[in-house]
Amino acid sequence: MSGRRALLVAVGLLFALLATGCGVRPSEVINGRPAVTGPSEGTGIYLIADGQVALVIRQTKTPSPPLSPAATLALLAKGASETERSAGLTSEVPADLVPADVGPTVDGPGVTVTVAGAVLPLSPLAADQLVCTVADAVARTAQGTSFAPVTLVGPDGTRPARTCPLA
Amino acid sequence: MTRWRWAGTRASGLRLRLVLAFALLGVTTTAVVASVSYVQARTVILQLAQDAEVASLTDQIAKLYPVVNLPPTQEDLDLMAQRLSDRDGYAVVRYRDLRGQGAQVRAPLTPEVQAAVADGRIAWQRVSRDGVPTLLIGTQLRIERPDGSSVPSGLEVYSVRSLASEQRSIDRLATYAWLTGGLSLILAVLLALLAARGVLRPVRELGQAARRLGEGDLSTRLTVRGVDELADVARTFNDTAGRLERQVGELRRMEADARRFVADVSHELRTPLAAMTAVTDVLDEEADRLPGDAGRAARLVSQETQSLTQLVNDLIEVSRFDSGTARLALDDIDVAAAVTATLRVRGWAERVRTELPPGVVARLDPRRLDVIVANLVGNAFRHGAEPVSVRLSAEEDWITIEVSDHGPGLDQQVLPHVFDRFYKADTARTRSEGSGLGLAIAWENARLHRRAGQSGRLVAGNAPTGGAVFTLRLPRLASDTADEAGVR
Repeated sequence: MSGRRALLVAVGLLFALLATGCGVRPSEVINGRPAVTGPSEGTGIYLIADGQVALVIRQTKTPSPPLSPAATLALLAKGASETERSAGLTSEVPADLVPADVGPTVDGPGVTVTVAGAVLPLSPLAADQLVCTVADAVARTAQGTSFAPVTLVGPDGTRPARTCPLA
Repeated sequence: MTRWRWAGTRASGLRLRLVLAFALLGVTTTAVVASVSYVQARTVILQLAQDAEVASLTDQIAKLYPVVNLPPTQEDLDLMAQRLSDRDGYAVVRYRDLRGQGAQVRAPLTPEVQAAVADGRIAWQRVSRDGVPTLLIGTQLRIERPDGSSVPSGLEVYSVRSLASEQRSIDRLATYAWLTGGLSLILAVLLALLAARGVLRPVRELGQAARRLGEGDLSTRLTVRGVDELADVARTFNDTAGRLERQVGELRRMEADARRFVADVSHELRTPLAAMTAVTDVLDEEADRLPGDAGRAARLVSQETQSLTQLVNDLIEVSRFDSGTARLALDDIDVAAAVTATLRVRGWAERVRTELPPGVVARLDPRRLDVIVANLVGNAFRHGAEPVSVRLSAEEDWITIEVSDHGPGLDQQVLPHVFDRFYKADTARTRSEGSGLGLAIAWENARLHRRAGQSGRLVAGNAPTGGAVFTLRLPRLASDTADEAGVR
């Protein structure tokens, strides 16, 4: 008798499950492929947003060939534009840092940037701005890769080589 | 009617159990199969739909490249969102605090999806939005560099698509599943009823056959169908019934043989007895003149010969009852006159108190009435004590003759056997004056008178004041036993 009752309960549960499990249920998050990537047109420099460097693309008059790394650094040193500032982007790179010279590192991989201003007092974010912008420009002009270490050299000394923290 | 109801209630238990078992089996199987395939199909449908939506979204996002302006203006974002929106869904494009939206409603962006998108992957999630299942897809837009690496642009695209059409497809699947379940339930019940009929019909037949056998129809047999257990039972039943019929037939034959033997013996004894009676008549006449022992012996022989003649006559009478050849010789008689004549012929007229209302006319066998009354009164004289009374009463269809004495009455142990053949109430008295068949013959004679399915009765009992009372009840318009549809 109790076995029969247990069977009935089991059948009832099965039906309850069937009745409630119907339809499209909400799901957990499903992770797929890496995010969509695509090309950009213009010159990429790196400003600061929310305490980290962020890519900004500026239209240049001549689309091709891309600006040289030195010219790109000059663009960066001019600071954030009106629109960029209104979008919450700032720059910590001082304007007196340029002109700069970009060349391959003599005793190792990567590139060395020789700037006109002092490099040692630069904030880490400003250094990252420089490193990322240079690496980006080097990659665009096919002078190296974007993940190559960048050494900043100024009249006051040399900062250790560093790669862009963004990807 | 009652028989059918009996069979019905008994059968419904088995039928109900079979139906329940079949239904349970069918429904459970269908439920398991249907739910498994339903879940599978649902997963496939949703996966296909989601993959298609993700593929379509990535295709459309690819058209947004190349990115020419970063940070984008609000107009840029709105334009992008509009390009990604269509009638099936809409998109939300975000850049930090800016948000461009292809619809006026607030997009249901869940924190989980936003976190997964921030990790740099395409992520999607099904959410329920106002009861409508909705697919939420999100991805970053990254900027590619010539060396293969990419950096986040800060743009995030979220697509919100309704899954209503998939919901409809899945609902249709569910409907089909329920429909299948219902059909299988109906089918299971039908099959169960069919199976129950297959099992219950032999069982019912077996029950009916057993009942007929119990009622005495020993020729009852079942039709054996198939080779299953029920057929075995039917075969066993048939074998048993056959053996029973043979044995009962054998017993009946032996009994008939015994009865015929008694009848034959009685008949064979009649002729020598007639001769002996003639001789003893002569001896009786001479007995008084014979001296001493010779005279006593002659009287003893004469007396015993009379007893023997009586016994043989009674045996012949009994064997007629047994063989069913006893017939009534009906005549319209005045019962009071007939009883009076019986008493007078036996010389008991003076010793018996009678209460015989005149004018009670009945159609009876006068000889058998005489035998019954003479037996009862003679019995009362022999075993009871005087005064013996005979009382006649009449109803519309029946007459009742009551013979009572004032003796000690009948013992309770004797009462059920008083009409048995050769039954001796007093075991110490080895020889009685009667043949021992008198009451048995009287009882058979009473039974021989029938009317409308009821036979006459002779009942023995005790009066409340003491003394045995024999009550004879006969139909007023008797007919022969043989006329009553031959029922013996």
